[in-house]
Amino acid sequence: MRWVALGAAAALALAASVVLGPAAVPLGELTRSDIVWSLRAPRAVLAFLVGGSLGVAGAGLQALVRNPLADPFLLGLSGGAGLGAVLALATHLSGPWALPLAAFAGALGALALVYRLGLVGGAALDPRILLLGGVAVGAFAAAITTAVVSLADAAELRNAFLWLWGGLSAASWDTVLVLAVYAPLPLAVLFAAARPLDLLALGEEPARYLGADVERVKRRVYLAASLLTAAAVAVSGVIGFVGLVVPHIARLAWGHQHRALLPAAFIGGGALLVLADTLARTVVAPRELPVGVVTALIGVPIFALLLRRWTIA
Amino acid sequence: MPCPYTPTVRPLGQILGRPPCSPEARRPLRSRHLQFPRGRDGGACALHAQTLAHLRSAGDGRSDLRGLLLASLLSLACRPAADRPAAAAGPLSAVDDAGRTITLAAPARRVVSLLPSFTEILFALGAGDRLVGRTAWCDYPPDALAVPSVGDGMPPNVEAVAARRPDLVLLYHSGSNVTAADQLAGLGIPAVLLHLDRLEDLGPAARLIGRLTGREAQAESLAATMDSLASQPTPARRGSLVFVVWDNPPIVIGRGSYLDGLAALAGARNVFSDVAAPSAQVSLETIAARDPDWVAVLSDSAAPPAFAARREWRAVRAVRTGRFLNLPGSLFGRPGPRSGQAVRELRARLEAGGAP
Repeated sequence: MRWVALGAAAALALAASVVLGPAAVPLGELTRSDIVWSLRAPRAVLAFLVGGSLGVAGAGLQALVRNPLADPFLLGLSGGAGLGAVLALATHLSGPWALPLAAFAGALGALALVYRLGLVGGAALDPRILLLGGVAVGAFAAAITTAVVSLADAAELRNAFLWLWGGLSAASWDTVLVLAVYAPLPLAVLFAAARPLDLLALGEEPARYLGADVERVKRRVYLAASLLTAAAVAVSGVIGFVGLVVPHIARLAWGHQHRALLPAAFIGGGALLVLADTLARTVVAPRELPVGVVTALIGVPIFALLLRRWTIA
Repeated sequence: MPCPYTPTVRPLGQILGRPPCSPEARRPLRSRHLQFPRGRDGGACALHAQTLAHLRSAGDGRSDLRGLLLASLLSLACRPAADRPAAAAGPLSAVDDAGRTITLAAPARRVVSLLPSFTEILFALGAGDRLVGRTAWCDYPPDALAVPSVGDGMPPNVEAVAARRPDLVLLYHSGSNVTAADQLAGLGIPAVLLHLDRLEDLGPAARLIGRLTGREAQAESLAATMDSLASQPTPARRGSLVFVVWDNPPIVIGRGSYLDGLAALAGARNVFSDVAAPSAQVSLETIAARDPDWVAVLSDSAAPPAFAARREWRAVRAVRTGRFLNLPGSLFGRPGPRSGQAVRELRARLEAGGAP
């Protein structure tokens, strides 16, 4: 029943995002319209993939660091991506893909640095140091970014922040293809780690006694979740809230078993972002709202409602 | 969302919608445009005559007549310049756009301009020799480059401004500049806050600057030209356009902006003139559906913008067919004495591009 409801919500959100938009396209011409085929449809699919990736990455990271506040961007990736994007603009890298590639490279750089910091205690990845390292690397990257923006006089630099704040304007079948080829591997790694993640929730020691290869799971989950987030930030900037709230909503409805939780977070995250983007495009048309605003405006009330229902029950 | 950048991000309106403040507008550009006529009367009248001549030659019969009318009005306005002494005696007083009253004992002799448009106005009034400080973005006229820069002016470096020992500072009216003006006033330096967002703001700004520098007659004729330019209705028969300020997310220019007015004067319809804000984020879908004949970008190069190669942008017909208008930021990005020239150039580009 829960799955049917979730599936229906996702299908409804996808259908709405193709049918609705600021441009008037009659229902009869939907399948022939260029606007639908080259703009709305890829944007809906991209929103679903990005939202789903963020949901799964958030769920995985929350289990890994055993902290309900964990979010895919907490571990320094947004800072790294921002620095990459700003450097690309400051050095006048040209080409239609320069910005996403530079952001991706920046996120990977931050990932590597945080990962290395997480290993300071030896071979074991320490989640607490991972968290602290992520915050520190993020702040450091943000400081360099701000310095570059205030010192360089390239006009586009300030606009890099607009891009960084997230949005799906860059959606095309090309971006969809890139993400569709890239995302399945880290997603599969996370889904495969569902059982050990359940054990990890008991604590590292108990998990080890129950037969989980804790170090390997931690490394894999961290890398897979971060690689997913890096790709998401490269194609759509930092879209907040999906990776934080969707795993909690899924946990309230599906419990703590990651075998059900991760797929639910994927579909739920996808549906939420598709819905949020549809609203962002249509409610103030012809203008558009930043999608992160809408994800928070929808996500928080749903979250509060569920929290209330489940704590009362 | 952990976004640590808030302090450096300015409100959109300030970054994009207000061309005088927009970084595009401030980018250095090699000047290859009209030389400023610099006669004894400051050249203001000569400039107007030239503006009108161009407007007339570019227009049809009707604007010819209008131009003649304007020219006669202008000659009236210009005449007193020759008879009257430039500097008025006694204390000068004026109220700026922030409602502050500024009183000067005598016309300002040492002026710091913190907006490229103010710098251009000063030179057009023949008071360029009084400029003792400018922003890093003030690149026109070329003579301005010889004056020491006091930084990028966003926000103003009050210490650097004060070090130029000005007796008048010209500031764009914005939140952070109000603070700077108060600090300057605390140092005993008179500072003026002026709006300069649209063509209509040019006339009043020129008059006030002229009053405080004792160049009232020149200012009056410059202001008259600017006012008449701003009030000229032009039929939109040279096609439609969209001003794309940024591509991801797409940000376009709306009605409350200088560029929108410029397009209207050049005879092009801004497809987003229903958006009341100076600039706004919109969907690509909306741009594609409104189907403008041209995509205009502020750019100093002639090459198509990078987003032209992105697949999603090819849903816009003007992008597919490569109909871009690359407008140099120094001329098009700011309202100023050269606005008439910007209108003519845009008109010529639209006509050279052929019928939509």
